[in-house]
Amino acid sequence: MSLPTILFWILAVISILSAIGVVVAKNPVHSVLLLIVTFFTITGFYILLNAQFLAVVHIIVYAGAIMVLFLFVIMLMNLNASGEPQKNNLVKFAGVVAGGLLLIVLVAALKKADTGMLIQGSTNIGLIQNLGKVLFKDFVLPFEVSSILFLSAMIGAIVIGKKD
Amino acid sequence: MLLEISAFLVLEKLILVAIILGISLFIAMYSTYAERKLAAFIQDRRGPNRAGIFGILQPLADGGKLFFKEEIIPEYANKFLFILGPAIFMITACMTSAVIPWGSTLHIFGKDISLQVADVNIGILYIFGVVSLGVYGIMVGGWASNNKYSLLGTIRAASQIISYELAMGLSLIALLMITGSLSLKDIVEQQSHGVWYIVYQPIGFLIFLVCAFAECNRTPFDLAECDSELVMGFHTEYSSMKLGFYLFAEYINMFISSAVMVTLYFGGYNFPGMHSLHVSPNTLTILGVIAFFVKIFIFLFFFIWVRWTVPRFRYDQLMKLGWKMLIPLAILNLLITGALMLYLHH
Amino acid sequence: MNALISTAVFGIFLMISGLFIKSKQAIRILAISGVVAAFVLNIIDFRQYGASATELFHGMLSVTNFGLLFIEIILGCVLVYFLLSGKDLANIGHYTGEYFALIFFILCGVVLAATYGNMLMLFLSIEIMSIPQYILAGSDKHNLKSHEASLKYFLMGAFSTGFLLMGIALLYGATGSFDITTMNLAGRPIDAMALAGIILIAFALAFKVSAAPFHFWTPDVYDGAPTVVTSFISTIVKVGGFVAFIRLFHIAFGSPDVDKHWLLVLSIITAATLIIGNVTAVFQQSVKRMLAYSSISQAGFMLFAVIAMNVLSWQGILLYAAAYSLATIGCFAILMKMKDYTYDGYNGLAQKQPLLALMNTIFLFSLVGIPATAGFLAKYFVLSAAVEKGGLLWLVILAVCCAAISAFYYFRLIWAMYFKAGDCQVEEHAITPAFKSVLALTALLVIILGVWPGLILAWI
Repeated sequence: MSLPTILFWILAVISILSAIGVVVAKNPVHSVLLLIVTFFTITGFYILLNAQFLAVVHIIVYAGAIMVLFLFVIMLMNLNASGEPQKNNLVKFAGVVAGGLLLIVLVAALKKADTGMLIQGSTNIGLIQNLGKVLFKDFVLPFEVSSILFLSAMIGAIVIGKKD
Repeated sequence: MLLEISAFLVLEKLILVAIILGISLFIAMYSTYAERKLAAFIQDRRGPNRAGIFGILQPLADGGKLFFKEEIIPEYANKFLFILGPAIFMITACMTSAVIPWGSTLHIFGKDISLQVADVNIGILYIFGVVSLGVYGIMVGGWASNNKYSLLGTIRAASQIISYELAMGLSLIALLMITGSLSLKDIVEQQSHGVWYIVYQPIGFLIFLVCAFAECNRTPFDLAECDSELVMGFHTEYSSMKLGFYLFAEYINMFISSAVMVTLYFGGYNFPGMHSLHVSPNTLTILGVIAFFVKIFIFLFFFIWVRWTVPRFRYDQLMKLGWKMLIPLAILNLLITGALMLYLHH
Repeated sequence: MNALISTAVFGIFLMISGLFIKSKQAIRILAISGVVAAFVLNIIDFRQYGASATELFHGMLSVTNFGLLFIEIILGCVLVYFLLSGKDLANIGHYTGEYFALIFFILCGVVLAATYGNMLMLFLSIEIMSIPQYILAGSDKHNLKSHEASLKYFLMGAFSTGFLLMGIALLYGATGSFDITTMNLAGRPIDAMALAGIILIAFALAFKVSAAPFHFWTPDVYDGAPTVVTSFISTIVKVGGFVAFIRLFHIAFGSPDVDKHWLLVLSIITAATLIIGNVTAVFQQSVKRMLAYSSISQAGFMLFAVIAMNVLSWQGILLYAAAYSLATIGCFAILMKMKDYTYDGYNGLAQKQPLLALMNTIFLFSLVGIPATAGFLAKYFVLSAAVEKGGLLWLVILAVCCAAISAFYYFRLIWAMYFKAGDCQVEEHAITPAFKSVLALTALLVIILGVWPGLILAWI
């Protein structure tokens, strides 16, 4: 096994375990911290794919800004492990059945996945120069249009958040 | 191929990392001494003068004191996170130095050795990423203390750092438009032959400087620990070396942000007239490293000077400055830079 | 793409105008002129694009005259909406400029929904349509129900967006393309990954158009949101969601090899939507809530256009968009003038405001599908599209039965207005001659479209 493969497996195991931890953890702050760990491992995957720019942006945006705000809200609301309302067993059972069915479908979908299209080895598509070229040539419209999406979200923050 | 690393390279980098960490810690240590001496000078006192001549061993004495003090973990604190907080803060503070080019290459043992741990092509973004993680050290520690002053300090620190990161990033984009590269090595090399980028980006530098103060939680932006309102802010409950880590990491942050500013705007390890000196490349490199550190010391001096001369902002003033003045100014700077570049290129 | 640019630019313009212009009246007039400008600019665009798709921005948009015609209809409906309910929209709260700006951003999303050629643009258009809705639904800040509506909508919407993205990711994994025309699912044996992707996307879009069993948010959101917002999100945005739905399923998944896999699922969704929407609407006491369920049942009819997949269904969705939007906007405009939103609140409206009662009757006729109104032809087109497709006769019969059920609750309102004595409370001062004349013109438009569909259909 080559070094990248070993790293991949280590990251994958941490990634999945911490992702499970996010759901299982009783304390919401622990959940958030585990989610940050998950993001870190995802960053690791990006680096393994030689997409350094995406990796760093992932850290700056998700771990560095969004999760901080998450943590912020949870700390201010003072959520505790005991604060979570108990759901009745029927709902839990229905949830397990529905989730299990979705899992089966997705496993079935991915089991026969055609890996022929995967790009083998490292490419340079994730480097900042190439990414910039793709973003401003092929994907210039989505890039610009997403600004409208963010603008409306910002308006929302003001309209809803500001005291009248 | 990615990740094919020779053993020699690993050794070389490990030594470099050890040296840089040692230097960072040493400088951080003596920044505390400089801080106290300067404060004393400004306040017309003598400052520390008992340990060694001129109190030169004072930082060691302080360190020793912190190490041997009783360690208190509050009973209702979250133990794991309480310990994790200072650890994260310290680690992230030390991690930033990895991409800073401390000097040009040294030629020893028949090999060229770069005085930079990692020349990644997104160096400056790496620093941003790591700095934005540093806030977790504050948040985790402050929350885990289970103390309302800590929590308030935490929240202030986090919102302050996130807010000023925006203006900092925007001021940086204007610079990156000129450099066309995110690698700190490239940026320094470009300044070696041209003028320093402070000439092209005076406003950008100013914004960056202000934001650097805010990111380091230094006066006039030290609202996170704001003694008169919040006791000690996020590290109210900390004692012993965990407190030491928080205080220490702050000085490391100061040191690193000085280094970044020098690298980006003041030519890094370049100094005027370096190309007309007829000395061996190795000597030139060492002279460059010395020049780099001299510039860093000037910035550190500035950091300390500001702390003892400028009063603290009020919290709403801080937010107003960040969101309503620095960000628009940075965007304006960005627009003007872009327009000028477009005009000059055609 | 004048429509895209003009809606986006006017949105930003209105957002900034809120800073400088304090008069709500002035902002409203600005918004109306913005819609008119977009309308005219889109007509100019119309001549340049034909029936075959023109690829723009490296295939991000694929513009056809169908898409442009749809945008034109939507802009027309928004114009009517602004003229009828613009004042109410301006008066929800303090942020008049922002409310109109959000409406324009939604329009931008609708424009993208009618012209996208790439999954990425589909996602963006759905999100641009959704996020302003969450905000508008919660814009009445003194009303707890409005908060509830906003939060509920946001959480559920975010969840369904997750499904959409997952579906797109699976489809990308299976086909290696984001482009809806080059995806070419038909060209090779379809695998489980692509199927899972299609189904997940179908569920997400069904959520966005409030088809059963993904409709649970609809009554609470439509009821809790300010009425003027409900009027918009239950018409323009829903129809926008449908055009995204129909284009994706016809262009990307429409070939006979592929559609056999999802046709049954969508048929069941259609049947469930029809039954649940109509049967539950019967039991409502509040007209606003009844209109919410009615919008679910109308969604059931519009789903026929998705599953039929022929020329008639394309024509049907255009007609349906116009007929349903105009009639519902009209009904809501009248509802907003009432002080009591229950059926009893309408008692005796015919004596007090005969014109309003008459117009409301015309709109309700159109919603039921009485001949000589636009609603009839719209239903006729989508149902005959399904008949032409074949194999869906059971669903068509079910739809006809449900239309009959729908007559009950729509006519109950007419009954209350005309045949029940009572003293209904109307906001007299808000019923200006201008309001009345726009309402009358809208009703006239509903009838004209009912007898002369060529007004719209001649253009494609």
